[in-house]
Amino acid sequence: MGTAEGTGFVMSGRVLSGFLPLLCGLAAVLISNLPLSLTNGLVPAPLLGLVPIYFWCLVRPDLMTPAAVFAIGLLEDIVAGGPPGIWTLSFVITFGVIDRQRESFAGLAGLGAVLGFATASLIACVVAYAVTAALYRFAPVGPMVAELAMTVLFYIPGVYLIGIIHRRLVGPLRSEP
Amino acid sequence: MANVTWKIARRGNAQLPLVIVTALALVLVLLGKAEPALFDRARMAMTDGMRPFLAAAHEPIVRFDRFVGSFDELFAVYQENLRLKDENARLRQWRNVAVVMEDRVKRYQALLHAVPDPALHSVLARVIGRANRPFLETMILDAGAANNVKPGQAVVDAKGMIGRIYLAGNRTSWVILLTDLNSRIPVTIAPGNRQAILVGDNTAMPSLDTLSQIVTLRPGDQIVSSGDGGLLPPGLPIGTVVEQGGGYRVALLADAASSEDVEVLAFRQPPEQPPALPELPAVAAGLPPATAAPAAPPAAAAAPEAKPVKPVAVAPPAKPAAPAAQPTSPPADDADEER
Repeated sequence: MGTAEGTGFVMSGRVLSGFLPLLCGLAAVLISNLPLSLTNGLVPAPLLGLVPIYFWCLVRPDLMTPAAVFAIGLLEDIVAGGPPGIWTLSFVITFGVIDRQRESFAGLAGLGAVLGFATASLIACVVAYAVTAALYRFAPVGPMVAELAMTVLFYIPGVYLIGIIHRRLVGPLRSEP
Repeated sequence: MANVTWKIARRGNAQLPLVIVTALALVLVLLGKAEPALFDRARMAMTDGMRPFLAAAHEPIVRFDRFVGSFDELFAVYQENLRLKDENARLRQWRNVAVVMEDRVKRYQALLHAVPDPALHSVLARVIGRANRPFLETMILDAGAANNVKPGQAVVDAKGMIGRIYLAGNRTSWVILLTDLNSRIPVTIAPGNRQAILVGDNTAMPSLDTLSQIVTLRPGDQIVSSGDGGLLPPGLPIGTVVEQGGGYRVALLADAASSEDVEVLAFRQPPEQPPALPELPAVAAGLPPATAAPAAPPAAAAAPEAKPVKPVAVAPPAKPAAPAAQPTSPPADDADEER
């Protein structure tokens, strides 16, 4: 009986681990897109959905799958209200770049890690801007730069929180013994 | 948990899903371009579902904003009080002028049998959310299709127009602000009744795209909605022309960032009816009305119109030297001059 319960716990833990990056990504998208502004619209909301994508793509790439990235981007598109499909495509392309350059990104630490995430965010923003300009119209660059800055600013608390969640529910980080 | 092992890298064939997902994302972008209504429905369903939470979460944020704003006001309250007293005195004078002018306009309209402006019905709605993204500036209202809110309707606050309804769910609706990148509003520049398009570009002050090349803008010109297209009521105050960086932009009267309660104007321009037969200019000039059936050949059709011209084409005695030019003048103009 005790063995069966233990097996069930492990199974449910593995299932939770498997879905944790997706759930965190969806939650981050919902939080960042809550239509509540503390700054009275002075600065745009950050792309918080990109933080879990970047984090798990480096730490546990087997948990952050392309399908999960697609789902996170799709939710971002639905709740953000912009041109449909833009963030889905930009998140997937950014994920592809991080995935191919994983060893380079994962070797960064400290300020370098922040710059690595800034690079990933820049890729996402450039793709979104380019697709919007190609299919719709040229948007001013200022709000996009502000969103990029906000996203990088929120990376540090975001990745700290996700690190805690990962250690509690999945296991140690890649760099930890 | 600490001893869990994992694969650091995916296998080589793991790139295949990425290619498929990228292709799907591309399809999604194109589908969104072709059928944006699919996404709009999903957005409205989510917003409707989140409405109670948004309404509850918005209240403490508003209080927080007021609390923070009160510190700034504390240091400027004396100067602000003096300024408001001065402004109040001037506004009282203007109010008296406006009351007199309104009465005069009403009398003129009655004398001229002017068509009265269509009545406006409005729905009072509360702002329960705001979103500021690079491609969208919007606010969410707690009124939707259940309150007769429809896409395209104008949203105003006490100062002026804020935007128009973009999506209407059952209980909530999204407003596309005048400053939004996708906002295009037909406006009139007063004085002079000059037509233009107010173009939002995600900056605080939208630009003006004048329809005529010879329009000269001046700082202080008033911008109101023109009503062209029949979606928005004419005459809604929008803003003032200001000079900025060598060009002209519109300083909006309403501040969408601080608006809490707004009105959604239910305006529907009645379909234009053709004038009654006796009111047609041709009939008033003594000509037979044009018939809908163009079966007659052009020559035959022109003949009856040319015939009654002769009585009204009277050559003025001051110009006897040019009799040949008289028959070519439009008969209707001559008739007008005679009247």
